[in-house]
Amino acid sequence: MSLPELMSRVVIVGSRAQLEKAVEALYEIETLHLIDYTNGSDDGFSIGRPLKGSQEASERLLRIRAAEKELGIKTDKSEVEPVPVKDIRAQISAGKVDEVEKEVFAAADERNKLVQRISDLEAVHKNLGFLSRLPLDLELYSGYDSIKVFVGTFKTDPSEALPKLENAEVFIAGGKKEVPVAAVFIKASDSDKASSMLSDHGYVEIPVPEGSGSPKAMAETVEKEIAGARARLEEIGTKMAELSERHEAFLAASDEELSIQVEKGGIPLRIATSDYSFVIDGWIPAAQVESVKADLEAKLEGTAYVEFQESRGRNQHDSDKAEPRFKTAPSKMKNGNMVSKFEYPTKLVSTPRYNELDPSILMAVFLPFFFGFMVGDAAYALPFIILGLYGIKNAKSKEFRAIGTVLFFGGIWTFIFGFFFFGEMLGMHFVGNNPLAPGEMSVNWQYLLNIDSYPEWFMSIIPNHGHGIGKLHDVTFLLKVSVYMGVVHLMVAYIIGFYNSLIQHGFRSALHHKGGWIFVLVGLVMVCYALTELLFYSKPMEGTLLMIVAVGAAILLAGVVLAWPAEKAQVILEMPGIVGNILSYTRLAAIGMSKAGMALAFNYMSIIMIGSGGDIVSYIAGFLIFLIGHLMIWVLAILSAGLHSLRLQFVEAMNKFFVGGGKDYEPLMVKRKNTKVVETEV
Amino acid sequence: MELGLIAIGAGLAVGLTGIGAGWAEKDVGAAAVGAMTEDASLFGKGMILMVLPETIVIFGLVVAILAVFVLGA
Repeated sequence: MSLPELMSRVVIVGSRAQLEKAVEALYEIETLHLIDYTNGSDDGFSIGRPLKGSQEASERLLRIRAAEKELGIKTDKSEVEPVPVKDIRAQISAGKVDEVEKEVFAAADERNKLVQRISDLEAVHKNLGFLSRLPLDLELYSGYDSIKVFVGTFKTDPSEALPKLENAEVFIAGGKKEVPVAAVFIKASDSDKASSMLSDHGYVEIPVPEGSGSPKAMAETVEKEIAGARARLEEIGTKMAELSERHEAFLAASDEELSIQVEKGGIPLRIATSDYSFVIDGWIPAAQVESVKADLEAKLEGTAYVEFQESRGRNQHDSDKAEPRFKTAPSKMKNGNMVSKFEYPTKLVSTPRYNELDPSILMAVFLPFFFGFMVGDAAYALPFIILGLYGIKNAKSKEFRAIGTVLFFGGIWTFIFGFFFFGEMLGMHFVGNNPLAPGEMSVNWQYLLNIDSYPEWFMSIIPNHGHGIGKLHDVTFLLKVSVYMGVVHLMVAYIIGFYNSLIQHGFRSALHHKGGWIFVLVGLVMVCYALTELLFYSKPMEGTLLMIVAVGAAILLAGVVLAWPAEKAQVILEMPGIVGNILSYTRLAAIGMSKAGMALAFNYMSIIMIGSGGDIVSYIAGFLIFLIGHLMIWVLAILSAGLHSLRLQFVEAMNKFFVGGGKDYEPLMVKRKNTKVVETEV
Repeated sequence: MELGLIAIGAGLAVGLTGIGAGWAEKDVGAAAVGAMTEDASLFGKGMILMVLPETIVIFGLVVAILAVFVLGA
């Protein structure tokens, strides 16, 4: 259980001429979380101007990104050999960006023009197709003084209406399946009549291409042109693919290098500068202050001074007193290698605040534990463990590594519970009677493998003399176990809440806000225990039971009194909520039961089919039912057990203490993937 | 006869609470998915809200189990 790492605030002051060097040094030490400067915080200071060259770098970066887009390169996914930083810088300053840009855009421009040309030609070709159905040459459609020409397609057949036009020559090409096409040559003065008649039939004008001769001949020429353009487009495509391959390493590397330059160049916009000096505020892990200070001052050769300002404690009051931009210290979660994998589920809710316990370790303990208890089967455990190991070793993304870790530890708990508690594999107990006998249904390994008796040591490591706990038989027991697990889990959550409140607001406040609830929980558990004994088992309210009720009620009352100053009537109203929270843990048993029920049904069906001594078909069907059924249960186990186990952490436990909303610790540093720093060049 | 009534009662307990939980979750779920398309980092918060009503059905299940195993025994 750990708090985020202790942070100290430092201020770095130096001469403005040395700013660029200072920024470089800050990126090299990789520990400073910069505090953004807000204009107006101090007299005589204002935010700075970008470093020299950063304007140029960002312009280049834009052009590089445009070229990447044209070539379809995604730099975060490209897997190229990293380019040494020195080389890429030399290439950039030698003007390779312009060169590559020119080459890429020449090809891209030609490609775009060709695409446009092809689409234009295709439109012309389509129109010529319509025109070729009329018995007219292209030159006949134009060049008249007193005749107006309408050429177009129609939505409804105009062949009856058009011939009625006076002073007109009409050519119509119809047909049942084809779109009607018509050309109307009409005396210019009568054209109004024609156009109203045409629009009644849904007339759409066809632009007649310039030229002479038959439309069919021209269509053939256009077709050839289209084919030529397509061939050229293909060539360009190959050329662009070749360009993409040739320049991918350069583009990816220069993108990365220029992004870094732009980011560094923008740092002055986040700090305070005056005419001759700069001031940088930042957070550094407290343990590293001295070494960082020495390191920085050595790097800057005495031209800048690093001054320690404060070590931020966990008391909320201290944080509230600070200047707004210094209020929140960043949270650097401090967990070991294994627990740090469980930071991911914590961050799904929120980053812990600087002054609250990081719940990741609680997650690391209980998440796989609950998962294992719900699945609880020695055979289902193995694929979980294998998948989990594979995920931890091979997954690239943080999310999948986290899921792999949960599956791995969940698998181990699944095995432990499955073997040593439930004594079960694939939903079948190791020990049992003949399932085909009257009144029996549960298939078991002893019957399946025809084992006379197990060795004594084997029987002694599994409860119930080898039979294990039956998920469908010992239901009340399992419910009780789940509830007790819930009580422990909730108690841990309340104690963490108490500790958080203690370090943030002091003992008194913690006692009222969280301490009271701990008493209420204990009191409620005792009273509820006695009540269940009384109601369900009709035990008389005397002796120990009466004592439990009395002590429980007293503790409950003490809890209410303690919590009252802070929570008022809330403490009474919330009590059913706490009982609800505890009962919510019965899902641990319930989900186990549902899986056992399904497994029982599938196993029984398949054993009847296989064991009935029937033909080959029922053997195969029985085997298939067995296989598919268990696969289904296994997949459902990931979803239901995984989600419910997560829910118990998020809702029941973390709601008791976790506030979240912390600021992630993000020190200034450079992450290189497509470029590399070669030692000799530094 | 009595066992039959117990079974019906247990069935009703799970069934009706199931309907209740589903009714409540349909709205929360739709809103949570909507929020997640805007900002995928809301998954955790969305999930917390999404699964809150589900406790109802767990209560139903507990009642059913108690009815069958404690009263029915």
